Amino acid sequence: MLGKRPWKMAAGAAAIVMLVAGCGGGSDEAEGSENTVVLGIAEPKHLIPANSTESNGSQVLSSLFYPLVNFNEQKQPVEAAAESITSDDNKVWTIKLKPGFTFSNDEPVTSDSYINAWNNGAYGPNGNDGSYFFERIAGYADLQSKDPDGEDGPQKAPEPKAKTMTGLKKVDDTTFTVTLSAPFAGWKSVLAYTVFYPLPNAAFSSPGVLNEAFEQTPIGNGPFKVVGKWEHDQQIVVTKAAGFKGPAPKVEGITWKIYQDQQAQYADLVAGNLDVQTLIPIESLGSAAGDLGDRLKKSPSSDFAFVGFPTFQKEFSNPDVRRALSMAINRKEMTDQIFLQSQTPATSFVSPVVAGYRENTCGKWCEYKPAEAKALYTKAQGPKEIKITYNADGGHKAWVDAMCNQIKASLAVNCTGQGEPKFADLLTKVDAEQPVGLIRLGWIMDYPLMENYLGPLYSTTGGSNYYGYSNTAFDSLLKEGSEAATPEAAIKKWQEAEDILVKDMPVLPLRFGQNTYGFSERVTNVEVDLFKKVNIYKIERVAS
Amino acid sequence: MSDPQAVTTAESAVGRDKPRSLAGDAWRDLRRNKIFWVAAVLVTVFVVMAIVPAVFGAGDPRDCALSRQHDGPSGNAFFGYDFQGCDVYAKAVYGARNSILVGLLSTLLAGTIGLIMGLTAGYFGGWVDAVLSRGIDVVLGLPFLLAAIVLARRLSSDPSNNGFWAVIVTLGFLGWTTAARVMRSSVIASKNQDYVAAARMLGSGPARLMMKHILPNSTAAFIVVLTILLGTNIATEATLTFLGVGLKGDAISWGIMINEAGPNVRTAAEPLVWPSVFLALTVLAFIMLGDAVRDAFDPKLR
Amino acid sequence: MFRYLIRRLLQMVLTFFGATFIVYALMFANQTDPIQALAGERPITDSQRLALTERYHLDEPFLGQYWHYMKGLLTGDFGISLTNRKISEMMADAWPVTIRLALIAIVIVAIVAIVAGVISGIRRGGTFDNVTLVLTLVVLSMPIVVLAPLARLVFGIQLGWFPPTATRDAGFYELLLPALVLGSLVVATELRVTRSAVAENLRSDYVRTARAKGLTRQRVVGVHVLRNSLIPVVTLIGVDLGNLMSGAIVTEGVFNIPGVGFNLFRAIKTEDGPLVVGFVSVLVIVFLMVNLLVDLLYAALDPRIRYE
Repeated sequence: MLGKRPWKMAAGAAAIVMLVAGCGGGSDEAEGSENTVVLGIAEPKHLIPANSTESNGSQVLSSLFYPLVNFNEQKQPVEAAAESITSDDNKVWTIKLKPGFTFSNDEPVTSDSYINAWNNGAYGPNGNDGSYFFERIAGYADLQSKDPDGEDGPQKAPEPKAKTMTGLKKVDDTTFTVTLSAPFAGWKSVLAYTVFYPLPNAAFSSPGVLNEAFEQTPIGNGPFKVVGKWEHDQQIVVTKAAGFKGPAPKVEGITWKIYQDQQAQYADLVAGNLDVQTLIPIESLGSAAGDLGDRLKKSPSSDFAFVGFPTFQKEFSNPDVRRALSMAINRKEMTDQIFLQSQTPATSFVSPVVAGYRENTCGKWCEYKPAEAKALYTKAQGPKEIKITYNADGGHKAWVDAMCNQIKASLAVNCTGQGEPKFADLLTKVDAEQPVGLIRLGWIMDYPLMENYLGPLYSTTGGSNYYGYSNTAFDSLLKEGSEAATPEAAIKKWQEAEDILVKDMPVLPLRFGQNTYGFSERVTNVEVDLFKKVNIYKIERVAS
Repeated sequence: MSDPQAVTTAESAVGRDKPRSLAGDAWRDLRRNKIFWVAAVLVTVFVVMAIVPAVFGAGDPRDCALSRQHDGPSGNAFFGYDFQGCDVYAKAVYGARNSILVGLLSTLLAGTIGLIMGLTAGYFGGWVDAVLSRGIDVVLGLPFLLAAIVLARRLSSDPSNNGFWAVIVTLGFLGWTTAARVMRSSVIASKNQDYVAAARMLGSGPARLMMKHILPNSTAAFIVVLTILLGTNIATEATLTFLGVGLKGDAISWGIMINEAGPNVRTAAEPLVWPSVFLALTVLAFIMLGDAVRDAFDPKLR
Repeated sequence: MFRYLIRRLLQMVLTFFGATFIVYALMFANQTDPIQALAGERPITDSQRLALTERYHLDEPFLGQYWHYMKGLLTGDFGISLTNRKISEMMADAWPVTIRLALIAIVIVAIVAIVAGVISGIRRGGTFDNVTLVLTLVVLSMPIVVLAPLARLVFGIQLGWFPPTATRDAGFYELLLPALVLGSLVVATELRVTRSAVAENLRSDYVRTARAKGLTRQRVVGVHVLRNSLIPVVTLIGVDLGNLMSGAIVTEGVFNIPGVGFNLFRAIKTEDGPLVVGFVSVLVIVFLMVNLLVDLLYAALDPRIRYE
């Protein structure tokens, strides 16, 4: 009797499994309206404009919102939701809105929609990822608070002095002015970024306080609106907003399908369950040409990959050591063999996608000359041990190992790649001034200006200048450029600043990125822009 | 169901010099067993490879050049070159040390902890079992990844440390739970056997009962779990290394080779196949060895 | 028996609190800079750091943070994750699909392991035994990070037998391929344990007695040997069921299933303490329940085992 029990139990367990599996199953792919597309993304961090600085969130928001300005082919800003954006002194900017625009809940878009959104985005205690974009606006500092006894102290930080920036002034319902704390010629370009989208009154539960639920169903002034709500780790479905006055998209709706893994996304693309993948993973590039044929495309992106030399490590303080290391590596071999030409060798300090970029400013220091490199390295008494530290979760091991092998072969020194679990761990070690060696870094621009590379990466106060490079001549040239009267004059100053970098070699430029994207047979006119976003106005279904 | 002969099984381990001891019998048996010799030869080869890789005539495993990427086999490199242009044969030979040592030592550690915990919990039952078993439940519930990252990071915070011992201790401390539970279940099953009751009535103390009567009859599943654990530990080392908390710098191991070759398997399969074969052969050798030795010591098979 | 159950349930409560404490401590020890971890490679402004630190109580000492968490937990509130989502919501999203996946996997594994294990245990050294050994070794020497993408490529794309990815609402068929991959992680151990247990029991006296009695071979194997061999196998199945839920990190990622393993992995990476502890607490409960069931099964399988 008892002997038969295990079988019964197994049968019971099997029955339960079938039952459980069955009740969740049978999700029939309701295609809905014919004219929709499925685009792949990763889970966005946030869907609040001021809190979205990564490409997934910005991509989704770009379908829900309509920006003040867009970029044309020459990366010049052109008015979109704005009628005009003008300034006489590059300090006080007057923004006039196109009339008649509404949010998808039929609320009209007014100057207040922008002013309220920006004040909320800049307010320190809201902790928005994109709050630093508002830094240039007068009065920004009053919205931040300082902890009186440091971060670890028991005291709570006091409330900031103000809740609204003095630099934002409403003129009438469709006009407002923005006063900057210092003149900035490139301000119009900055305004294209996600954080400058307006917010409807419905987004706020009380003045200045965002509604908790807003993020799950954001309401924007753009061509699409959310259907249902953000299905985390799964999808975000959007459909055409009826009252949108801007250029009409060619598709009725978009399903933003969320993937944890790029290779899984690629598998779905090849299997025909997905229409566009904006980044084909390197591992699949080898077979992508065969899998996709002419549906595999490339377009420029703003990615810039480099390694930095921490200034606290004195063995790298001689510029000749850095130059020798630069000449010891074969950039082209790496982009060809490791990245299968999905990236290009970098021999300048800013990306080719910005105005003012000059080819090969690095000159002979960035050419592969192993013999010269070795002579220079020996003369400058470079260290016998080189370490390259990278974050292990970013897929950097392959090229770091290859770079080390090149350094070993060219300079006859030992070189090892050292993985840290996360970028945060790497930064912790850098902050503690541990001997990390060369540090792997990268940059994606926020707006297409040279300044957006030079400022954050190389200025003394730059937010991403983790290696501690500091040159006062560079800093002042950068500032002069930003305050110049015309974009042309600005570029001239910024180029002079870049020339200083060539002399100092604070980093080794390695690669410029490209969007390597693929799409299904169902769609056409697929374009991926500098910010890795699919152009949702141009994409079309192929008539079937 | 009584099995008086099993009582003498454990004594064999001590190796008495009686005229026909069980160990002697076992050895006579083993010598005639072909499987044992195959396993012994394989183990010897891999152990030699781990100790003196140079005798295998391999080139420099760290001499890599992208220009040779995925080149086919040649007289210098029997298995061809991998994605980084390194000699696959040389890397497989030099990777033996890290892989085998990490695998063996961590399995040994896990086995020891599992044995003690499982035996104690199963034999004593009651509150001892309650405390130990709930301890096992907690360790089982810990996400391996989190515990491994925390442990390995604490253990290898010293930059001069190459992470070797940290990996072994991490794998050992996190891998014993399955072995312990299996041991416990076997002990629970065999402590109710008649011969144990008989031995207890004859006045054997708990230590003697455990070591001489229960343990020898409870090891079958335990040994199997451990041999498989050996294989998974060799592979898991690579996972830790890939997360940045395993072996440091330019360490070479089979697991790392397999992981690196995985994504490129559609362009070049050899760099994936060879270290996998080495790993599989090692595990196979230990599985066969375990089987053969256990059979030789099992009096029921005579 | 009843008293035994009560005792086990009481132990569970204690273990549960012990586990949350240990996991919270581990997360705390692992914490270098959760705010930076969340931001990835983006620089963080001072005022943003300040705001987030206060919002998530990150500046408080360990016991303070733990107290905050437990206070919420005891009132049924799992708190909010550092991504500002309700943890209870995230768990309700993640658990069902993972449980389905793990159950399908464990049933497949149990059937394969027991059937194949019994056959190779009976015919030790035979062709079937050797073939399963080789297959076991192949699976064993291919880590899941290689095996899972390979399975997706071959069966999902090239042969097209299965969908290459699944979703949260995936049914049995969509989960079959991930379940097979996941099951391959543990099938090796269970198969070999079954085999060795069967081989061992075949030699025992009671089998000889049963045979001598004139029982058919099928009855001897099916009733006597199998039942006596199942104790270690059932133990393993119990342990593995839990392992498959928390250990499905790679499989869930490869097949795009937003389940427990995936959420745990992400939470550990972003140093999201409350989220990890929430998931692990439930996981520990699963282990406790399954292992209680397994212990009760022992008594059913072997009447000599008694709990009082």
